[in-house]
Amino acid sequence: MEGAIPATMVADSIRQHSEKTDLGAHSIFLGQVRKDRVNDQEVVAIEYTTYKEMALEKIHEIREAIFSKYPLSCMHVYHSLGRVAAGEISLFVFTSSKHRKAAIEACSETVERIKAELPVWGKELFANDDYQWKENQ
Amino acid sequence: MQVTIKVFGPLTDIVRENDLVMNDVHDTDQMVQKLGERYPALHGAPYNIAVDKNIIDKNTVFTGDHIVALLPPYAGG
Repeated sequence: MEGAIPATMVADSIRQHSEKTDLGAHSIFLGQVRKDRVNDQEVVAIEYTTYKEMALEKIHEIREAIFSKYPLSCMHVYHSLGRVAAGEISLFVFTSSKHRKAAIEACSETVERIKAELPVWGKELFANDDYQWKENQ
Repeated sequence: MQVTIKVFGPLTDIVRENDLVMNDVHDTDQMVQKLGERYPALHGAPYNIAVDKNIIDKNTVFTGDHIVALLPPYAGG
């Protein structure tokens, strides 16, 4: 989705699941843009770009693999594109299951796979209009 | 045969375009060689190559029109 993920979207997602009364556990991961300091410059935002056609195929593949590995009821993934300011949310992963273990482990594995396998790049923008390319640890 | 080359992330600093087109290229090795001649800074830059969205690990012959992507290390999240 374009731009930051608003906190109200997370709240709405939780609310929408209250009708699914067979669920007993949700796990949520939120990735936030960090105001890193590099050579006396602070990161003010990250500008995300992607290879959309490949990313959509890849997230579908990850989703299928996670669903076949864990007894999940549902899973939602949102990743920001474009500019996201420091302090704002750029990744939202939401997994739901009957019990906590599957929800937590599926959420964690999905985040790791997104970081490693999704063709997304981030340009860390500094206040002085300079930039550097984000590297995942 | 036409190969469209999509360039992403840090590699756009070198190539300065998002899409390149090559008409006279036989396989991925030859494509890399031609790109290196045009953009010497690509030599040594880390990236994978995807042909029609599939990452390849060996030289791949082009059999028709293809979309190739140069994919530097991912940095999502």
